[in-house]
This record gives sequence, structure tokens and C-alpha cells, in this order.
Amino acid sequence: MLLEIKHITKSFGGLKAVNGLDLSIDAGQILGLIGPNGAGKSTVFNCVTGVYPPTSGNILFKGEVITGTKPWNICRKKIARTFQLVKPFGMKTVLYNVMVGAFALSPSPRHARDRALQVLEMLHLDDRKDVLAKNLTIADRKRLELARALATKPELLLLDEVMAGLRPTEVEEMIGIIRRIRESGVTVFVIEHIIKAIMALSDRIVVINFGEKIAEGTPVEVSRDDKVIKAYLGSDYVAA
Amino acid sequence: MKLRENKNIFHVGFLGMALLVAFLLPLVVTSPTNLQIIILIYFYAYLTTSWNLVGGFAGVLPLGHSAFVGIGAYTSTMLYIHYGLSPWIGMFAGGIVAAVAGIIIGYPTLKMRGAYFALATIAFAEGLRVVVENINNIGPLVVNGPRGLLIPLLGNNFLHFQFLGKEPYYYIILIMLLIVLAITYAISRLRIGYYLAAGGEEPEAAQSLGVNVARYKLIATAMSAFLTALAGTFYAQFMLYFYPKGILGLDLSFEIAFIALIGGRGTIAGPVLGALVLRPINEFTRIYLSGTLPGLHLVIFGLVLILVMIYQPRGLQEPLSRLYRWLLLRLAGPSPKS
Repeated sequence: MLLEIKHITKSFGGLKAVNGLDLSIDAGQILGLIGPNGAGKSTVFNCVTGVYPPTSGNILFKGEVITGTKPWNICRKKIARTFQLVKPFGMKTVLYNVMVGAFALSPSPRHARDRALQVLEMLHLDDRKDVLAKNLTIADRKRLELARALATKPELLLLDEVMAGLRPTEVEEMIGIIRRIRESGVTVFVIEHIIKAIMALSDRIVVINFGEKIAEGTPVEVSRDDKVIKAYLGSDYVAA
Repeated sequence: MKLRENKNIFHVGFLGMALLVAFLLPLVVTSPTNLQIIILIYFYAYLTTSWNLVGGFAGVLPLGHSAFVGIGAYTSTMLYIHYGLSPWIGMFAGGIVAAVAGIIIGYPTLKMRGAYFALATIAFAEGLRVVVENINNIGPLVVNGPRGLLIPLLGNNFLHFQFLGKEPYYYIILIMLLIVLAITYAISRLRIGYYLAAGGEEPEAAQSLGVNVARYKLIATAMSAFLTALAGTFYAQFMLYFYPKGILGLDLSFEIAFIALIGGRGTIAGPVLGALVLRPINEFTRIYLSGTLPGLHLVIFGLVLILVMIYQPRGLQEPLSRLYRWLLLRLAGPSPKS
């Protein structure tokens, strides 16, 4: 098991954003995390990546406890993430943005540059490398967010709604990219609202609502689960 | 490729010419008054370049850098007056004291955002000024409270960092400026430069990419404080007299920030351009207008700042570097169709 989340709870004041959640990912898997708005999906990501520690419970990566590890050290343990609201370094070029990520591997600017160009090429962003990040379209910004995270050479990649706001063709393209990332040996943990995409992509799906797990299984199993249909998918989805 | 090579040749050529002009300038400008003005331009360009490591690259707005100028001046001068330690050595002692002070203030304050950080740095610098004004001596070391310190004049003496003419000071500050510019350039190209810029723009994203943002900001603050303090010693030896309100006061802190904002924060040329534009305005308005309306130069400062912020929010370096690149392209490229 690559990542194990053991019964974590995260409270903000009186609100339990995540409540006793258990979850695990095997190496090489793509795990989808879905649930209605405010279900606590991003909170799970923030706990894993050290933005804040969980109130209780433990997180293990490759068998080692990483609960409460600071974000920059999480990165060194080979876990990378993207943000739901993209956070590009807007006044810098695309290449500059990705080099910041690549510097995690080596302090040499030449190596960082080579690594960044390699990642940009993989994501078909190389023709944009000299554009200021703030001038990118939303689709390219999402891709840049992904490129930056990939440049750190993670073993586990957490994607927080990288497809939100994309046109259908762009979604197709992003699915292809994520599959290729997995083929290159990266385990992927993905939050997504576009059900079609996450069904197509995930090996397994975990559904949460009000911070608690309500279902888990293959995409087909989950889509037939009564609780999931009631809480999230809606009855229209079954008919379709 | 050919075009790029040509551009580089012209670029290096221009830089070389500017350097040559700078080194030969005292042969042409012989009036001590004018030389004094130019020395102060370099002095402020140096201070602002040092400030820029934190205020520009790390993306925060420190408004209390006079504290480090003062620490530099006081440390080297007190050591010189009491122990006869050469200011050349005292300079680095002052730098180290300032760097330590920078870390002590930076540790709690660098976590604050925007205006809160700026206010905290103002409070620190003002606090230091008031303390110094109320201290007569620290043990055997004379501080002299609000009266300031006077360095005994010994005549031309390199070891004691004293010269009768202005030219030696001109070359010292010019070389100091070139060194600090080279340091800034190097930093902007290295990992630390990328990390500072990333942490300044989007701290959360930078952290997720492996950047310990707080630590890098602290490193930048220590370096900035160290370099700023060296200029404090230069100022002390150049003027041979200084007092708390002048060297530790807010006016100095604000002027450094003004120069950076007008020239262009976070760029290498910005502080130099800002000093080239603002210092002469400051000097000439003071010389010609202060008799009639004291404080008018500050009003003009404010006006210039407002205009630049409205029309060139990224500072004067932006349009000027665009012009410069265009010029290089025209010079290097094939001649336009006739």
C-alpha cells in the first residue's frame, strides 16, 4: 500500500469537515474521491499534503507516518499536488513556474531547466513556455498546475479538480494525460466533479458525504450504490 | 541564432560602455557638489538593491531598512572611536550585527502579510531610533544619544577609511554597487531566486513544491540586512558625522522604498533607475525650493510616485527595458528594408 489514511478527523471549530475517514491507495492505482460540495474532499488533500494536520488519526506513506509533516517536506517525500483554485506564479513565464517545481530534484538551474522542458513537452505545453502564466487560458493554467507538480517527480500525485471548467475536448485530452502519467509509474489520487471523467479514469472510487465515507468500490459498483445516488449522483444518472 | 549572438554582443558592449563611463566620470565631473550628488545616487542605488532582495524578490514590503543602515554606521563607528578598529573591519562587524537583528525581527514578522509586515518593520525601526536617542553609552562605547557621533578627521588615510577628496568615495561606492548588483543577478538566476519569487507570489503553491517559504525569506532578510549595514559604514565615513534621526529615521526607509517602487521592484535595473530619477529630483528641489517651501520635495516625490504607479505600476524599468530590447533588436537584426 502506498498511502494509508487511518481514521482521520479534521474539525474546524464545531464543524467536522472530515470524520473518521479510512482510505488506502495501492501503488500504480488511480483512486477517485467524489462527493457533494463541502463533503470534505479538499480537506482530505490538505491533511495529506500537510497544509494542516488532522485533528486525530494517522496518515502513512510507504508505511511511514507522515501526519503533520510540513508541505515542503511532504514534497521531498515524493508527494505532489495541484490546487482546486489554480495558483500559478502569474508574473513569471510558464517555464519559470515549472522550474520552481523541478528545483526540488537538484539545485542546478541547468538540470531544472532540462527537467522542466521535458515535463512541458509531455503535457504539450512547450510551445507556451515563454508566456507569462497570468496570460494563459484556464485549460492551460490547469495543465501548468499539473506540470509544476509533475516536475518534482512525485510517486503520488494528488489532483484537485484539474478538469473543472474545461471544455469536453479538453477533458478528453486531460484524461489521456492523466493515464499517461499513471503509465509512467505515478500513483494518482484524484478529486473530480465531472462524473464521466472520473468513472472512465479511476480503478476505484471512494464517495464521501459530510466528511464520512458512504461508499467505496469500482466505478460500476459505486454508480449502482443507493446511498451514492441519493447523496450525489441523483436519480437521473441511473436512468442514463 | 545569429541574431541572438549579435544582440548579446551589443548588450555586453552597452554594459561595458556604461561601466567605462562610470569609471571615467570623476575626470569630467570635477565639482565636489556634483560629485557628491552622484555619490549619493550610487549610495541610494546600493541601498535599494540590497532592500530589493527582500522587498523585491521575496515579495514583502519592508519599511524599516534605515535600522540596518544605522546599525552598520553605529557599530563600525563605535568600534573605531573606542578601539581604533579600522572601519573596513568594523563594516563587516556591523553587517553581522545587522544580519542577526534582521533574523530576530524577521522571524516573527515575515509570517505577516502585506501592510501588517510593513507596519511591524516601521515600528521596529522607529523603536530602535528612540532607544538610540536615549542612550548615552553602552559600557565604554559612546553612543551620544540624539547628538549623534562625530568621527575625528585624520586626513587621507586608507586604513581609516578617510579621504579629503570625493573621488575615493566615488570609487568605493561604485565598486560596492557593482558587487551588490552582481550578487543580485546571481541570486535571481539560482534556485534561491526562484524560490524567493515563488514564495512571494503564491506561498501555498511554493510550499507544495518543496519551498520552505519562511526560511528562504529569513535568509533573504539576513543577506539584505548585512549588505545594507555595509552602506551604513560607508555613509558614516563619507559624512564623518551622523545622528539618529537622519540615519535611523523613517525618511531614509521610505526613500529606499520609493526608489524601488518607482524604478521597479524585483528587477535588477529597477533600483538603479529609480535612484537615477529620484535622487536628482530630491537634490534639486531641496537646493532650489526648500528656502521657499520646506517639505516641497516630499510633495513632488509623492506626485512622481502616484504618476508612476498609475501609468507604470511595475516601475520605470518596464517601458525602458522594452525600449532597450527593441533597440538591441534593431541594431542586431538585418537592416530594415530601405
